Amino acid sequence: MELCLFLGCNTPAIRPDVERAIRATMPVLGIDLVDSDNYVCCPAFGAFPSTDIDSWLATSGWNLSIAEEKGCDFVVQCGSCYSSLRMGREHMMHHADKMARVNELLEPTGRTVTGKSKVRHVSEVLYKEIGPETIAGQVKKSLKGLHGIVQYPCHTLFPSEVVGFEESARAPKGMRQLVEALGATVDSYSRELQCCGGAGGFMKSTPEQAIEFAKTKFDAILDETKADFIAVSCITCLMHMENVQNTLNKRVGEERYKIPVFDYNQLLALCLGFDPKQVASICNVSRDSVLSRI
Amino acid sequence: MDLQQGSIKDLWKAIYNTGDLHHCFNCSTCLSGCPASHGDPPLLVRNLARKVILGLEEELLNDDTPWACVSCSKCEEMCPMDVKPFEMILAIRQWQSANDETRVPPSIVEIYKRGYTQAVGVNTDLRDKLGLPELKTITNNPEQLQFFREMLMKTPVVSANDYMFGG
Amino acid sequence: MAEKKPTGTVLVAGAGISGIKAAIELAEGGYKVLLTDASTQIGGILAKLDYQFPTDHCGMCRMLPMVGREYGSQYCMRKSLFHENIEILPFTEITSVQGDGGNYKVELLKKARLVDPAVCNEMGECIDVCPVEVPDEFNHGLTKRKAIYQAIPHNTPKMLLIDREACTKCGECVKVCTTNAINLDAQDEVETREVHSIVLASGVKLYNTREFEDAKSYAVSPDVVTSLAFERMMSSSGTYEGGVIKRPSDGKPAKNIAWIQCMGSRNRRQKRDYCSSICCMFALKEAVLAKEKGGPEVDTTIFYMDMRTFGKGFQQYRDKAVDEHGVKLIRCRVQGVMLKPDGSLEMRYFDPETNEFFVKDYDLVVMSTGQIPFETHKKWADLLNAPLDERGLLATEQYSKIKIAGKPGLFICGSLMGLTDVSEAMSSGIAAAGEATNFLTTLGVDILKEEEIAEPTAHERENSLVSVALCKCGEKVGADGIDYELLSAELLRYRGVGEVNVIDSICKAEGETTTNDILGKTKCNRLLVGACQPFMYRRKLKNVARKAGFNSSMVEIFDLFGIARRGMVEPSVGDWTLRAAREVKSDIERLKYKPALHVSTLPINQTALVVGGGIGGMQAALSLATRGVPVHLVEKEAHLGGYLGNQVEHTIDGLAPVAMASDMKLKVFENKNITVHLNCEVEKTVGTLGSFESKLHFKDTNENTYLHHGAVIMVTGGHEGATTEYGYGTSDKVLTQAELKKGMASGNIDAGGLENVVMIQCVGSRQKEGRHYCSRICCMWAIANALKIKEVNPEARVFILYRDVMTYGFFEQYYTKARTAGIIFMNYSLENKPQVEMVEGNPVVKFMDTVLNTEIELPADMLVLSTGVDPEESNQRLADAFGVTLTEDRFLAEADSKWRPIEFQKVGLYLAGTAHSPMPLKSVIMQAEAAAQKAYTYLSGREVHTAGVISKVKDALCIRCQRCINICPYGARSYDEVEKCIVVDPAECQACGACAVECQNNAAEVTGWSDKQLMAAIDAKLMDDLLMSTAE
Repeated sequence: MELCLFLGCNTPAIRPDVERAIRATMPVLGIDLVDSDNYVCCPAFGAFPSTDIDSWLATSGWNLSIAEEKGCDFVVQCGSCYSSLRMGREHMMHHADKMARVNELLEPTGRTVTGKSKVRHVSEVLYKEIGPETIAGQVKKSLKGLHGIVQYPCHTLFPSEVVGFEESARAPKGMRQLVEALGATVDSYSRELQCCGGAGGFMKSTPEQAIEFAKTKFDAILDETKADFIAVSCITCLMHMENVQNTLNKRVGEERYKIPVFDYNQLLALCLGFDPKQVASICNVSRDSVLSRI
Repeated sequence: MDLQQGSIKDLWKAIYNTGDLHHCFNCSTCLSGCPASHGDPPLLVRNLARKVILGLEEELLNDDTPWACVSCSKCEEMCPMDVKPFEMILAIRQWQSANDETRVPPSIVEIYKRGYTQAVGVNTDLRDKLGLPELKTITNNPEQLQFFREMLMKTPVVSANDYMFGG
Repeated sequence: MAEKKPTGTVLVAGAGISGIKAAIELAEGGYKVLLTDASTQIGGILAKLDYQFPTDHCGMCRMLPMVGREYGSQYCMRKSLFHENIEILPFTEITSVQGDGGNYKVELLKKARLVDPAVCNEMGECIDVCPVEVPDEFNHGLTKRKAIYQAIPHNTPKMLLIDREACTKCGECVKVCTTNAINLDAQDEVETREVHSIVLASGVKLYNTREFEDAKSYAVSPDVVTSLAFERMMSSSGTYEGGVIKRPSDGKPAKNIAWIQCMGSRNRRQKRDYCSSICCMFALKEAVLAKEKGGPEVDTTIFYMDMRTFGKGFQQYRDKAVDEHGVKLIRCRVQGVMLKPDGSLEMRYFDPETNEFFVKDYDLVVMSTGQIPFETHKKWADLLNAPLDERGLLATEQYSKIKIAGKPGLFICGSLMGLTDVSEAMSSGIAAAGEATNFLTTLGVDILKEEEIAEPTAHERENSLVSVALCKCGEKVGADGIDYELLSAELLRYRGVGEVNVIDSICKAEGETTTNDILGKTKCNRLLVGACQPFMYRRKLKNVARKAGFNSSMVEIFDLFGIARRGMVEPSVGDWTLRAAREVKSDIERLKYKPALHVSTLPINQTALVVGGGIGGMQAALSLATRGVPVHLVEKEAHLGGYLGNQVEHTIDGLAPVAMASDMKLKVFENKNITVHLNCEVEKTVGTLGSFESKLHFKDTNENTYLHHGAVIMVTGGHEGATTEYGYGTSDKVLTQAELKKGMASGNIDAGGLENVVMIQCVGSRQKEGRHYCSRICCMWAIANALKIKEVNPEARVFILYRDVMTYGFFEQYYTKARTAGIIFMNYSLENKPQVEMVEGNPVVKFMDTVLNTEIELPADMLVLSTGVDPEESNQRLADAFGVTLTEDRFLAEADSKWRPIEFQKVGLYLAGTAHSPMPLKSVIMQAEAAAQKAYTYLSGREVHTAGVISKVKDALCIRCQRCINICPYGARSYDEVEKCIVVDPAECQACGACAVECQNNAAEVTGWSDKQLMAAIDAKLMDDLLMSTAE
């Protein structure tokens, strides 16, 4: 199966080790990745989707045309990119006038969009296309003995009819099963489905409250679980959940919050035997406690 | 507040002209699980719906809270009336951007300039070290970037504010 | 010889309360009824409920017939239902219906129970040995049951059955069964029956939290339960045996309980744009009861969207729940529940009263789940080849909630009309029986006629001599628990016992013959029968006795089966038999001293009086008249039609009351059986059950007329309430909803020029001072008017200021439609009512917007007030004339707000429509039909049998203090001014015994329950215990 890799901006710019992990694991699991040359911003919800429909959809259309030209679907890791592209495509598919307008805007650039390429999240591909059982069968180094908790990307859950692939957006199972496939024990806790709070303008507009909001989640993790690590599947979750821990530690004046955060693809790469230096080297919260036990 | 003086009856048509908005019956479902409702001032989605319905133009123009939304879209999932609150929030932002140039997000200028909100593909040493291929970004492809810019220039907010884009 | 007509037979599909009510009404009317239910038992939802508001008691038995109660089976309805004319078929599905118009062939699939209830001795050893445990659906999975089980814990008989899916066929139960009642290979049976009419009373499917996605955010723990499961947690036969409510997960007492309303309902996103109608009252009741059970430290919070207290007495109940019990109501729908490690359930909510967010932990969360109607309706539509309406529900005739459109003889009732409370279920059940009866009378089928057997007078004055008959009950009891020979010998030794006979099966035909023979030959004058399930064939046995010349009160039955069953676990059958004999002695003593009781028969005047000539009154009159009953129709105005029929051209649900009323008027005047009396009121009524004389006073001519009738239906209606609030009366820009409606219809009001219209709901309503009730129709009226304005002038802004939008049931869709049209609904609270200032004759409305928490000011071109519905002032005079009471709100007070909504305590008196409480037109018509049916059944009995067991006055002991008159709930006692003594109306008395308890002088006594009898019975019991203790 061939998929067109949509990287977004944060992953290649700030966390290329995640990109490395995806590029390493996908072929092992039978997915051939092709690059999206000349792709542009997804666009981020705070950008064109916040100014006008035309620029949003034109930008989505630009990107979708790349996958369409390659004749395959997009695979996306970043939650926002996934959601924005998917909503953009949905708009065009449901509104013929919008689709026409986008093609009108694209025409001088030599591009067209029909909607034939779908937008898929990397966790959907892993969960639905490959499956936890296949993944478990490929594991070379197990996470056995480690406890983890999972962070579902909101953007892959809601609204379920547009972005969802879980049987239930309100009681998702995918991430849990994927992490369990690597041998780890996944602990449950009260705020499992609480948003990390990292996306959008919340952190920017009221950082105090946003940190406080995130604190409730981390306190619940510490109080209610034996988590050795947090598995996420979105670049914003990854970066935010690390940064927040450091901020919180500064506030409380001790190293209370120090749970390593991994993108699931990084954990997968590690379990498939790839070099941690390549696939999990960039972090703001030390991962040694986990890496030493794999 | 005097609704006769202080409201524009058909404002909702300008902002969020869908069949969904008016179905809001203020049940507060959108509020109880909203991350940004923890903010100060809180993002209160149902209040935004009310402001749009009542046509409180000035209040809406001055309201910063739509920009605090984390885009998690949980309100969209939970809203029993299918108001599609996240789409409404985007619509309010769009209306604000169209009517108040100070609302235009700087990120679109970044995107216009290099295709992304930040520099992508310039960390070549790190990428090399990780064994990653060179990225074929639009930033490094002047011809494509020009096409992209010309396309954007035909869209409403970019063209209306062309001075921001060096135009 | 004339051809024998077939007996009218009706299939009632669904044995919840509405089905049972329809079945009883039809059976009482002499029709054969097949009462089926797809589930393993009857009783429907109500089988699970120990409590209903407003009394917070059960009271299901109140739906049983009140007249001639000695002939019916009076028994706890939650345990069982017995009626000679009703064939009850639980666990039976209807698989096909063929034919039409009065001739239906119905294919029934009778599911195999694998346990034959006719043979089972109910010892339950089979349950003990069964190794299979599965969740018990009756307790909503909160408890476990075996594969062989009793479906309802309080059922009598127990009606065991085997769950075929769970059963492993291990055969352990078969081994321990001594009566061969179990057949693990029994198969379902298919049977075809012919019926003349079908009443669908299946209810609808309920929202199942396991099945639907939107429940998953809440159902995160076993401590999140549905409202029905919560009923089982409170029930005395439920999970905690009626004790303190606990968390299912760990058994800790539940101190903090939250209810989440509208689970599954009022959800446009999930395509469930309707309200489930009953959940608000359900939650209020549960919250009050949780407080009562757990004490004041239990905290109860209801999260709601609109608190829909629209029915009679609902608003008072809500106010009581909040003010007296401290139930918290918070207008917020929460997004989900978070389960914490200690099992507590965290919820975050926004309190619009304080404009703050709160995060709180609860021990228990109750989801108020509602209806999922479409599937059920589709299934019936397919089976009956009946049409569905645009909503996907079975289409009914335009003005009817009952008659299936285009399908004569097919009717629906109960929650198929949308979830109904008990009161509406009762009305609809009776109305469906009424419509079915109407239909059957046109078919030329017959009714079952009771064989009249006069009560003999022989033996009355002889010394008591008791003949005891012991039933061996076929194989059922066997000789296992009791030694019949020993028991016979022992009983014969008692003084007053003349003979003891052992009969094989007294309930079967052979048993009847044997009993006849014994009674024919005996020299005894009283008969005591020992058998099983005495309540089942008391009536039959008493008839046998009467035929043999016994007064039926001289026959008593005791539960020998119970005694024998207890004996089966005793070490020695002989010892047990001797002990049992002494138990029976107490029964013998009571029978020995029992007097002969006589039932008297009063003729019923065959004429009905209908008070109120509105649409409801005309409906009732026409329904009776077309069945041949002469009717006097009395109207205080100069014309028929009432408020709706004269004032309202159109209703929101597409009805045309004025057109309908003029059509009805024609029919009324054409009907020879109806005499119309206009311009008059009933001033006084004398007489008693079955025979009333009413004085009609004509106000114009000041003349009087006297009418004689046997029954009366009060359908007095109501009118729009008056107000002086909000500047009404000071400007023509402030008007009522009715004035607006009329103005727009006549063209006097042009909506075209309007810019801002404000409507205020609940004017003078739902508050302690004023109308302390919801008028139920104002929200729909306001929406209809607002939509009309929008239709004429889409540019107009229409604001509806409301407290709770009461668009219950499928009226919700009009609320949605109104919002689609851009009508703006804004909430206000009673504490913060809108203020209206008149500025140069124009109303300026100021109010607090509870969403934005800002004061809003709006000059309105028109201010429209929803002033509610007031009852007719004449209600008081009517109540006085008939000796019935009014509620605090001046509506007529029915016998029982739940179970007898259209009757009064006094037999022969009925009410319907707005005389009961404000209601939409279709409900008025339904109630009128139900009242007509009650009156018809009563009148067609031609005579009324008073009960044998009634209260009497021992005049010599009576000091005329009249306390008994005050205490009598049936108004059966009165003071005779002429004779200067207390008299009892034998037809009204229900022998409850309240007077006997109240009387300080023992002057009030219930016959058949004399002190002498009871003392003798107690003595026998005590003597027995005394002997036992000295023996030990």
